[in-house]
Amino acid sequence: MQGATDGTSLRPAPELAVSSIDPEPVTIARLTAGGPALLLFVSEECPTSAMALRKLGPLCPALDDGGLSCTAIFEDPLEIALRVARNCGWAGRVVSQAPPYQASRQYGLISVPTAVLIGKDGSIVASVTGWDQPAIAELIRTVGADLPVPAATEPLRKPGCSSKAAIDPELAAAMASASADDELEEMFERGWTDGLPVIPPTTERVDRMLGRFDGGESLGEVPPSMGEATLRRLAACAVLAGCRPDYFPVVVAAARAALDPRFNLHGQAVTTQPAGQLIVVNGPVRQALQMNSGMGALGPGNRANLTIGRAIRLLVCLTGGGMPGTLDRSTLGQMGKVGFCIAEDEEVSPWEPLHAERGFQPGQSVVTLIGCDAPLSISDHRSRTPEDLAYVLAWAAASTWSTNWWPLTEPSVFVICPEHAAMFRAARWSKQRLREFMFETVHKPARELRRGETTPFVHAADPEAEVYKWESPESIVLLVAGGEAGRYSAVLGPCTGMGFQIVSAEVESP
Amino acid sequence: MTADYVSPFDERVRPPEPLAPRPASISGLRVTLLDIRKNRGAEFLDRVETLLQEAGATTSRVTKEIFSKPAALGLIDRITSISDAVVEALAD
Repeated sequence: MQGATDGTSLRPAPELAVSSIDPEPVTIARLTAGGPALLLFVSEECPTSAMALRKLGPLCPALDDGGLSCTAIFEDPLEIALRVARNCGWAGRVVSQAPPYQASRQYGLISVPTAVLIGKDGSIVASVTGWDQPAIAELIRTVGADLPVPAATEPLRKPGCSSKAAIDPELAAAMASASADDELEEMFERGWTDGLPVIPPTTERVDRMLGRFDGGESLGEVPPSMGEATLRRLAACAVLAGCRPDYFPVVVAAARAALDPRFNLHGQAVTTQPAGQLIVVNGPVRQALQMNSGMGALGPGNRANLTIGRAIRLLVCLTGGGMPGTLDRSTLGQMGKVGFCIAEDEEVSPWEPLHAERGFQPGQSVVTLIGCDAPLSISDHRSRTPEDLAYVLAWAAASTWSTNWWPLTEPSVFVICPEHAAMFRAARWSKQRLREFMFETVHKPARELRRGETTPFVHAADPEAEVYKWESPESIVLLVAGGEAGRYSAVLGPCTGMGFQIVSAEVESP
Repeated sequence: MTADYVSPFDERVRPPEPLAPRPASISGLRVTLLDIRKNRGAEFLDRVETLLQEAGATTSRVTKEIFSKPAALGLIDRITSISDAVVEALAD
């Protein structure tokens, strides 16, 4: 039966291993110095504890005046105990006990609240378990018939909650869920992640991400499992990725381009290759979002670059079901599959930017999607002519995809660093001239390519016929980005066999 | 946790496509061998085709445009119109 005085008496009250804001230690002798003491064991999570604090708390000053001191003993940290006591109107003393809740154990607690009456001689007189107004009133009246008691309002009785001291530690560990009080862990349990922590997509965050976009609009189905890319779902991916709402128009444009059938995302998402989806951002949106096209442009450090790329990859992995190890069968993968978004440094480039080359106006903001491999750095600090530099850049790419797989039909992307770009600017080399020089530079006789993996083209060719690394100069894409110092450009090898086209989409706001 | 989240998943449940009836015998069947254009897939199909013909099947060969894209609907329609069964040489 809940709330009965149990008749336990004359047992010395154990000392309390508790903390409080009182500089003096809280001892049974102190609590009973002026007369009997009422101890109320409670816990923050327990509604019955809160009720007991509310009903008894306002009486504490009058009870104290009448010779009965009141102390709430929380099974919670002190700062929580003080907050809960204040919110519940508890006007008595507040103390806190830490795990393993020594005081609760020594008083043999099963549940909270439990009220324990300590006599002036320091012995336990009686106790009441749970909320039991008649039993509490009786307890108080044993101290003084004229002392105030809690009002006899419903509910008169209410069961308590398990004392933390009564929970078996092994059982608690077995029942524990990492996500129970941690929303970031919950995201992992839901599978809403690429392996890194994510921002939980609450409705409020997703609504802010959508802004004036219509969440019900569909961009089509996302391969390989063909989940529907509603803008609301895309906004959830953008929130998960860590995007700010002002990035979302870029994310939408990138998703439109990625889902264009000409891009063949289906093949890229499931291939055993390490295919990443490179997003190149051009136009004024780069400055508006403070994207990085300078130092470390292919690496960490910029929220827009990193999260826009990650949002598109989360769309593929989660909405599209292209998670590595399931439908994504990539043998090794690459970090570009976490997210791969760069901004071109149009201001440093000696050439027309990528989007202008593809038919857009320079003042338009545009994203361009290219399927490609991980970056291979190309160091050249010694070339003194554009011909030498172009030779080094082009031959660095000779082994991309595979050493003897010539010619490549899908695009190879060269990211030219500012110091290398300056050399071509000084020599007045156009982008097309550089592209054609690189194409013309890398060739070998077919007989030298007939070892290991090679192409049917090489097998069919005359052994002495020259085979070029690329099918045409148009297989070479040139971008400019990177820090102003250091002569390191990079080539991103192709994603072959996909039959995809580069796809661009304008960034538009609703 | 009790927060209200927006799922990135498409939660629709799609009923599985039922399997076509299994033929009782290969003899007399019209079997299409679909080459998806993956490297050396044709060699595998050559051997399968020989075994099917020895078992009394009539065979025909069909090739997909490219291995990395789903087959065109027209190609699927053509295969279903000329075949009792299909053998597809997949990749890797």
